[in-house]
Amino acid sequence: MILSAAGVLLRAVVVLTGTAIATFALLWAGPGDPALAVAMARYDTVVPAEVIDQVRAEAGLDAGFWPAFWNWIGPLLSGDFGNSSVTGRPVWPDLVAAISYTVPLALLGLAIGLGISVPLAILAARAPGGWLDRFAVAIASLGAAIPAYWLGLLLILLFAVTLAWLPAMGARTPSHVILPALTLGLGVAASLTRIIRSGILEAREQAFLPAFRRRGVADRAIGRDHIAPHAAIPVITVIGLELAFLMEGAVMVEVIFSRPGLGSFLVNAIEARDFPKVQAVVILAALLFVVLNLLIDLLYRAIDPRIGGQGA
Amino acid sequence: MRSVVVLVTVFILIAVAGPLVAPHDPTAINIPDRLSPPGAAWWLGTDALGRDILSRLLHGARWSLGLAFLISLIGLIIGTAVGLAAALGGKIADWVVMRVTDSFLAFPELVAAVVIAGILGGGVGSLILALGVTGWMRYARVARGIGLSLGTRGYVVQAKLAGMSTLSIARWHYLPSLLPSLTVVWTGMFARAILGISALGFLGFGVQPPTAEWGTMLLDARIHMRSTPLQMIWPGLAVVLCVLAINLAGDALRDALARREDQSSAETG
Repeated sequence: MILSAAGVLLRAVVVLTGTAIATFALLWAGPGDPALAVAMARYDTVVPAEVIDQVRAEAGLDAGFWPAFWNWIGPLLSGDFGNSSVTGRPVWPDLVAAISYTVPLALLGLAIGLGISVPLAILAARAPGGWLDRFAVAIASLGAAIPAYWLGLLLILLFAVTLAWLPAMGARTPSHVILPALTLGLGVAASLTRIIRSGILEAREQAFLPAFRRRGVADRAIGRDHIAPHAAIPVITVIGLELAFLMEGAVMVEVIFSRPGLGSFLVNAIEARDFPKVQAVVILAALLFVVLNLLIDLLYRAIDPRIGGQGA
Repeated sequence: MRSVVVLVTVFILIAVAGPLVAPHDPTAINIPDRLSPPGAAWWLGTDALGRDILSRLLHGARWSLGLAFLISLIGLIIGTAVGLAAALGGKIADWVVMRVTDSFLAFPELVAAVVIAGILGGGVGSLILALGVTGWMRYARVARGIGLSLGTRGYVVQAKLAGMSTLSIARWHYLPSLLPSLTVVWTGMFARAILGISALGFLGFGVQPPTAEWGTMLLDARIHMRSTPLQMIWPGLAVVLCVLAINLAGDALRDALARREDQSSAETG
């Protein structure tokens, strides 16, 4: 147990270090002079060579790869994300503001996704092959093929342009979150329905279930105590993956709905070549996924007694 | 099943022959006819620069489908090599390779692709690199999993004892057994690549204008949603139908493989 915990921790450190170096190398090796890009973004005109050199020295870009890397990673380890190379303001407050828009969107999207998929999958698995089951599978296949940005545009077209029920662009009022969250949630629902349905069907095939039934255990108790935990394993795996999907979806959805969250933050930072901001988002995302994978790993061990013992 | 085959064949035909049957030049600007509704002259209407949308869709198929094919093939090659290296390279190599694979898997692929393509600047080259680098992990996991189970098979042990080189064993004994499962993974990744290409195009980090590509067509259409909503429907519909057809083909392939495995295990067992 201690050994495997150490392994998990080592993995987390390897992932984070690798991501940091890879991101920095990518920005470093990217085309064009980063100092020129920063100077252009800052002054918005053609800048003379001395100014570019001054910017280069200020941003610590003249020292070579590893010194520049340590310049960035050192403060980062103590929680300092540095300053925007465009505005010169600290990255952290802007990042927090962006997160405060993305988290409600992601949570609401996940809630909508679970709210649709869990009942639909349970109903569908009740009669495999029936019309409801075929309907659920068809919806799930269709949902997996519809890109989030197109679904978002269709929802805008229907609810904001044609019916004028809901606002679409920006994030001024709480109701601005409804359409983006619906876009995310429908995507989540499509993939979750499929997984939960096949999870339930597989759990039902377990060899010990007929034995319980013959002993007269109530169907409800079998469902709760024996089928649900079995079906939960693939669902937890998928929710882990689903969070990656939420992050991807949030990037696209925020751009479509002009919502000032992490996705817009990232895309704007890339377009402005504001490296400290790009790095901050990437590191934060990597950290988030390391922690989530850790939690999922622990959850597995709690649910499935076979995992975490010898040989696993 | 038959309808899936027909649909996939239609899309392959469109990607290969689409530009030949396109009624107009996809980049020909025709301002007087801009934002025309669908009609006799322009079957699906025109965009903001008066370019024929049908012709742009047909030409775009080559970019969306062709590039997705290339990208999923690159992922297949990298992933298979990585997976086999893990399966055949011993315990330490396995641990290192699989941790690297896990790190790539842990990160949302599209976000990584957006960062890579965005930093490298738009264009086909960086698009291929961004989606190729982020699209090999699933192949690697499958190749390693099957590879490890093959290691104890009689014919593999025999080949090792006979002094066959590791590379030859990988080529002649591992690869044929991997291909069916990898093909199923490949259909899924092919569909993902189509979605990825159009997503990057939609963000402006993919195929650059004036080249017609489904994602960039959506980006163009988005601004004119109020006046000509239909312009936005076509490219999205093309993406959805393509991805749906490929996914269904993948499902059919997986079912066929499962049936064949059931049969062969029934015969030997």
